[in-house]
Amino acid sequence: MAGTAGTGGGGGSTLRWLYLSAYNVVLFFGWLQILCLAIEALRKDGPASVYAAVEKPLQIWQTAACFEIFNSIVGIVRSPVSATLPQISSRLYVTWGILYSFPETREHFLVTSLILSWGVTEVIRYLFFALKEAFGVTPPMLLWIRYSTFFILYPTGIFSEAGLIYVALPFMKVSDLYCLRMPNVMNYAFDFYCAAILILGLYVPGGPYMYTYMIGQRKKALGKQKTQ
Amino acid sequence: MRLDILSRSGREVVKGGVELQDDATVDDLKKEIYKSVRKFYPARQRLTLPLESGQVRPTVLESGKKLKEYIEGNHAKVLFKDLGPQVGYSTLFFFEYIGPLLLYPIFYFYPAIYTYFGLPLRKEVHQAQTWALYAWSFHYSKRILETFFVHRFSHATSPISNVYRNCAYYWSFGAFIAYFVNHPLYTPVGEKQVMFGFALSVVAQMANFYTHIILKNLRAPDGKGGYQIPKGFLFNYITCANYTTEIYQWIGFNIATQTVAGYSFLAIAGLIMTMWALGKHKRLRRTFDGKEGRAKYPRRWVIFPPFL
Repeated sequence: MAGTAGTGGGGGSTLRWLYLSAYNVVLFFGWLQILCLAIEALRKDGPASVYAAVEKPLQIWQTAACFEIFNSIVGIVRSPVSATLPQISSRLYVTWGILYSFPETREHFLVTSLILSWGVTEVIRYLFFALKEAFGVTPPMLLWIRYSTFFILYPTGIFSEAGLIYVALPFMKVSDLYCLRMPNVMNYAFDFYCAAILILGLYVPGGPYMYTYMIGQRKKALGKQKTQ
Repeated sequence: MRLDILSRSGREVVKGGVELQDDATVDDLKKEIYKSVRKFYPARQRLTLPLESGQVRPTVLESGKKLKEYIEGNHAKVLFKDLGPQVGYSTLFFFEYIGPLLLYPIFYFYPAIYTYFGLPLRKEVHQAQTWALYAWSFHYSKRILETFFVHRFSHATSPISNVYRNCAYYWSFGAFIAYFVNHPLYTPVGEKQVMFGFALSVVAQMANFYTHIILKNLRAPDGKGGYQIPKGFLFNYITCANYTTEIYQWIGFNIATQTVAGYSFLAIAGLIMTMWALGKHKRLRRTFDGKEGRAKYPRRWVIFPPFL
């Protein structure tokens, strides 16, 4: 089986092959589960029921993406930390800092567009990398889908994320959750509400930055195919 | 000699190429390119020779050298890269330091801004807060004055994007620290600790000024001249004594003011300076290896005696 890893393009060890294949296969099924649960809940009980249906798997599989930050820091995968870190930390922030911490947001219709945008993107992405890492194959159709869906799913995802932060703002303002007030001996204060406004501000340059990054990735991936 | 100036995509940067005397220097070539494309002043230009087979990094045509050292014959190709708009180091430093110098006093003199954050108006000003204002303003004034009257820069320039990046770092950290030190609910530390902290800060800043004078004298007034081993005062023990004293000044400031914001700035600045110091130490050891008549770099601490 180690021979397949060689053709996979990484040229790494068996351990690397095993780790990356397992990671991508597991995450593929994890996100497939989220997506199926979301669609089922949406059909049965409407948008307000989506969050309750996906909560646990969403928290588990989205948190598992921390491995991806680790992978790019250590250099197991080629994607730069400057791309994985903002993407995954913003996802974790919305998953734990908004949806988990402020239940008032959970029935908003933006949760549906959020889960569908994330879900479809991740199912395609993990399937793509699972096939690539485990068997060294990249079906052209899948490659094209992997590098094209973001044209729509990135804006909808980013808009849903930012929208939900905005929806949570009034609840943060009246809550003391995660806040630290002065006076204290280390002269430090933290206000979750102010932090959220700052983070919303970061979406303004961050969104276009990630979008152009993906356009660049698309050119690289699809351009290479043509010359072959 | 005749040189074709090509971009990396193979396009001609100067139409028809450049004609130069055989003893021309790299700088003459850059001036000649500047003459025909007015946008590309010499500091913006990076000139290299085309890659030869098996070569990974291209040979860079360095300022001050003769073209003959790189090029044989009368006709050759030179690759041109636009480095983008450049600024001098004194401009970069000035904009970095002017932010903290002007932003900090706003938080001290206009306590009303805290009411916008839903906080009460300051009832009393602690001694530590006033001294902190003096220490901060003195520090950044010193850095700006040193930039113009002490430091001697090489002719190197910095891309303009560094100005934005570094200003974002210095300005936001300056405001962040000022916000907490001048906070209406600020808790000062004991009087002895305040005095010890500011005393350390003042001593460290004077020592830091002296290290900058020593470094200035290593460089010839025209910015040229070779690399030298720093000597005298703390440099006899530490390679980057200028960073050591800078860090001690911030340690003193933090002992006196005690804020998480200030300590996090200290940690990040310390980390950045440590990386620079390791680079400089390595470069000095490599340059002065004691072989073929070259001086041998003495055994010294890098930045933090007795640890590093």
